[in-house]
Amino acid sequence: MTSLSLIDVRKSYGATPVLDGVTLEMGDCEFIAFLGPSGSGKSTLLRIIAGLEMADSGEVWLEGKRIDALAPGGRGVALVFQQYALYPHMTVRENMAFGLRNAKVPNTEIAARITQAAQTLEIDQLLDRKPGQLSGGQRQRVAIGRAIVKEPKLFLLDEPLSNLDAALRNRTRVELAQLRQRVRAAVIMVTHDQAEAMTLADRIVVMNDRKIQQVGAPMEIYDRPANRFVARFVGSPAMTILPAQGHAASGGYAQVQLKNGTLIQTRVSTADLPDDGEIEIGLRPEHVTVTAPGSGTIDGEAVIVERLGDRTLVYARLDDGSEIVAVDRGDSSVRMGVRVGLQIDGACAHLFDADGTCHHAERDQL
Amino acid sequence: MTTAAHNNRLPLTALFGVLLGAAIMVAPLVWTLLLSLKSNSELMRDSSAAFSAPYTLENYRAILVGSDVPRWLLNSIIVSLGTTAAVLMLCSLAGYGFARLDFPFRRTLFVFVLLGLAIPEQAVILPRHQLFATLGWHNSYPGLILPGLAAPFGVFFMTQYFRAIPKDLDEAAMLDGASRLDVFWRILLPLTLPAQATLGVFTFLGSWNDYWWPLISATTSDKYTLTVGLAAAQMNYAQTSGLGFLMAQAVFASIPILIVYIIFQKQIVQAMAGAAVR
Repeated sequence: MTSLSLIDVRKSYGATPVLDGVTLEMGDCEFIAFLGPSGSGKSTLLRIIAGLEMADSGEVWLEGKRIDALAPGGRGVALVFQQYALYPHMTVRENMAFGLRNAKVPNTEIAARITQAAQTLEIDQLLDRKPGQLSGGQRQRVAIGRAIVKEPKLFLLDEPLSNLDAALRNRTRVELAQLRQRVRAAVIMVTHDQAEAMTLADRIVVMNDRKIQQVGAPMEIYDRPANRFVARFVGSPAMTILPAQGHAASGGYAQVQLKNGTLIQTRVSTADLPDDGEIEIGLRPEHVTVTAPGSGTIDGEAVIVERLGDRTLVYARLDDGSEIVAVDRGDSSVRMGVRVGLQIDGACAHLFDADGTCHHAERDQL
Repeated sequence: MTTAAHNNRLPLTALFGVLLGAAIMVAPLVWTLLLSLKSNSELMRDSSAAFSAPYTLENYRAILVGSDVPRWLLNSIIVSLGTTAAVLMLCSLAGYGFARLDFPFRRTLFVFVLLGLAIPEQAVILPRHQLFATLGWHNSYPGLILPGLAAPFGVFFMTQYFRAIPKDLDEAAMLDGASRLDVFWRILLPLTLPAQATLGVFTFLGSWNDYWWPLISATTSDKYTLTVGLAAAQMNYAQTSGLGFLMAQAVFASIPILIVYIIFQKQIVQAMAGAAVR
C-alpha cells in the first residue's frame, strides 16, 4: 500500500525556484532518506509534507487522503526537529502530552501512551524534568517520544542526528534503526550525511539542484548511480572521475583511453553509450588498488596517505595532473611523495557521457 | 589560588570609597525617616531634634486616619497597575505581530513605532491635553492611564524578544495541533516572562513616578496620584501640616515602590546590566 505520494510538487521563493516538479511514491512502513547538499530542496520538501510550507503547485497524498490543504496538526504526521524544538517551560511529560491534549485524547490514554513511549525510549526517569535539565541525547529521545505518542501515519525526521557528537550519533543511529522496527511506521528522514542514509533507509532519494536525482536502495545508489552528481555525492571518499577518450568496442563492451594513453577495458555495453566519444570514467576507491610501480595499470605519485587502520587510502597524482584515490592494506608502507603503481579494476568502472548520465557495468558480468 | 583570592578582594581605599558613597546616599533617607518619627511641635522648635529621642508614630497615624494620602496611594496603585497590565498586553501582542506575522507594511509600521522613541512627551503634551479636554477624559482613571499605553520602547523590546525565540517552537506547536492563539498564549508568552517582568517593573516605576501628566489631568484631590498629592502638600508653605507629617508622607509613599524593588531586584539588575552590555 502506498503511504505517501508527491505529485509534481513545485515551490519557489520569489523568483528563486527551490523545488522543480518533485514526484515520489512511498511504500507502507517504508523508511526513506532525503539525501543532498545544502540548498538542494530536501528540507523544503519535508516542510511541505509537514504543512509548514505551502507548495506553489502539486499534490501531497497520505494513505489515500489529499493533505496539502490541511493544517499541519491535521495531517497525521509528526516531525522531529533538528534542534528538537522542545517547549522549554514544560516538563518532558507535558511536552509529550501537549499534542495529545490538543487532539482531545482522554487523559488516561495520554498517560498510557507517554508511559509506553518513555519505556521504549528509556526516558521514564526524565518525565518530570524540563528540557534545560537534559543532555543533547536525552532531548533527542524526548523529541522522538513526543512524535511517537501521537501515533502518526508518517514520521518526519529533520537531520535528527546532526546535533550529537560522533560517539552519540553512532549509538543513536543504531537505536533509531531498532526503534523503527518496533514502531513500524513510514519514516522520512532528511540528512546530508550519507552514512545515516545508507544505514537507516530502505530507499534513498538523492536530491540536488531542486530535483530528485535518483531514488533507490542504498546499495543501488552506491553501485549504480544515475549520474555524475550522485556518483560523486554518495561514497566516501568520493568516486574518482577521470576524463577519457573513445570507447572502442571489445566484445560489445567499451574500452576507454585515459589522457596518458592507458587503455581500460570496462564492462559497460557500448550500445548504451553515445557515439561522439566524449566520456569520463568513474572509479570507486576500492576498485583501484596500490601495487609496486610499473606493475599496475598506471603509475602515480602518492600525495596524501590516510591510514584508517583496516585499510589505507592513497591519493595519487597521475602524470597528467589528475588525482585518483586508491586503497591499500591497513599496514601499507606507502609514504607521501613515493611513486606507486595503481591497479584499476575496469570491470567495475562507470562511464559518464557528456550530459553526466552514468552507464554501468553489466551486473551479470560482475 | 592565593593570588586569585587576593585579586577578588576589594582594596581598602576602594572599600572606604564605596562605604562613603553609600553613607552619602543613605543619609538623606535616614534623615527623612527620623524626621517622620518626630512630633511636629518639637521640630518647629528645633529641626536637629530629629537626631535625638523621643520618637513617635503619631505622624503615620495621622496619615492613616486624617489625610488624603491613602486615597492618593490607591490612585497611584490603580493607575500604575492599570498602565502596567495594559502595556504588557499591548506590547506583547504588538511584539508577537511584528516578530511573527507577515502583513503588508510591517517594516514601515515598525519604523513608525520606533519613531515614537524620538518624540519627547513635551512635544505632544498640549495637543494631548486639548484632546482629553474635548473628550472629557481629564480627572479620571482612563485619563491618567491611557497616555502611558503608547509605549514604543515596550513594543520594540518585546518584538526583539519574540524574534529571539526559535520559530521551530511555533512550528512544533502547530504540528501538535495548536492554533495561532494557542501558540501565542501557551508556548511563546510563557517564554517571554523574563522580558515581561523587566518591562513590567520599568513601566510600573515610570508610571508610579510620573508627575507631569497627573498634574495636568488630575484636577481634584480625590484623583491625585501620590506624586501630585505630595507635591501639593509641600506647597503648604505655612508648614501647618508640619515637617514630620510631610516626611512621614514621603516615607509612606515610598513603601510600595520599595516593595516592588525588593521583589523584582533581580529583573531590575538584569535589565540594567543588559542595557549596559548592549
